[in-house]
Amino acid sequence: MKIPKHVLAALILTSGLAGLVGCRNTSGTIVNTDHLTGQSAIIEENGRLAHRVNVVKISYDEVNGLKRVHFALASDRNRRTRIDYRICWFDVNGMEIDSQTKPYRNLILEGRDVQTVTGVANSPAAVSSKLRIRETSQAQ
Amino acid sequence: MKKLVFPVCLLCCVAVLCGCQTRVHEVPLDRAAATTKLEPQDIRRTVEKMVESLLVAPGVKEFVSNRRPVLDVEPMQNRTTQHVDMVSLTESVRMQLLRSGMFRFVDRSSTGTAAIDVARIHQENQLGLVDSTKAVKAGQQTALDMYLTGTLSEIKNVTGRTTDQYYKFSMILKDLKTGEIVWADEQEIRKESTRPAVRW
Repeated sequence: MKIPKHVLAALILTSGLAGLVGCRNTSGTIVNTDHLTGQSAIIEENGRLAHRVNVVKISYDEVNGLKRVHFALASDRNRRTRIDYRICWFDVNGMEIDSQTKPYRNLILEGRDVQTVTGVANSPAAVSSKLRIRETSQAQ
Repeated sequence: MKKLVFPVCLLCCVAVLCGCQTRVHEVPLDRAAATTKLEPQDIRRTVEKMVESLLVAPGVKEFVSNRRPVLDVEPMQNRTTQHVDMVSLTESVRMQLLRSGMFRFVDRSSTGTAAIDVARIHQENQLGLVDSTKAVKAGQQTALDMYLTGTLSEIKNVTGRTTDQYYKFSMILKDLKTGEIVWADEQEIRKESTRPAVRW
């Protein structure tokens, strides 16, 4: 039996759409900051998120012997943007310190707004930090 | 065309049967909100925020400057209508503060802990099995410098199909000697859910 071309095309389109719905891009934007040298690197791995949220300022200090970092996040959209972010800390050997104690926090950025998020190291041994941003829809 | 009927029916049966299977998989600890109730990610975020705020507070810096004060964490009061394990929340706060290395801790506030300590010391000494010169004597435990406590409260509003739920965690750190509040902070969470117009 010969399957008509339009039926075949519909089948391929349907299976393609079904496959795409199942895929969810969970990558995001990463900002690595070395608190000893003051160097920061912004890595944008999700094009859609990179066009919506920008890291516009990075500053850091030390309070009570613990490193602290501030990131100013700016929205490039006119609409509300919901994101999750997480700031984790690493010691001088590059090992992550108590990763489970640093959960993703949520942030609602209004259109064209800039908000500052802050992270405090969970140990005096922390010397570098990593900010990871993802879209809230990725956290389902 | 008739040849296709059997394979299509077979495929449908397999699809239906696969759908009946219970699927279990591990999920990330921090998920998007699913209900207006307090969820694990809310508790985790609250604990992290409170601990960070406490560790960088100027009042705490003054107190901690040259020593590691002894702290006790009292279970927080639950003033909501929900059942929330406040002891677990308190334990998470204590664990994170302990790891910071800024404080020393005693465990007086946990239910029955003090009584258990007294009973164990008494039992050790009474049994006569231990060297009396090495036996732990009562009255040598470290005294408290400060204690941490807090409350969880809620406001709930239902308007039509929309439920608006607000939670507030408040914590205070009190100096036992002077009675002064050294640090206080709040964490607010607001959630909203809308019921579908048509329910199955």
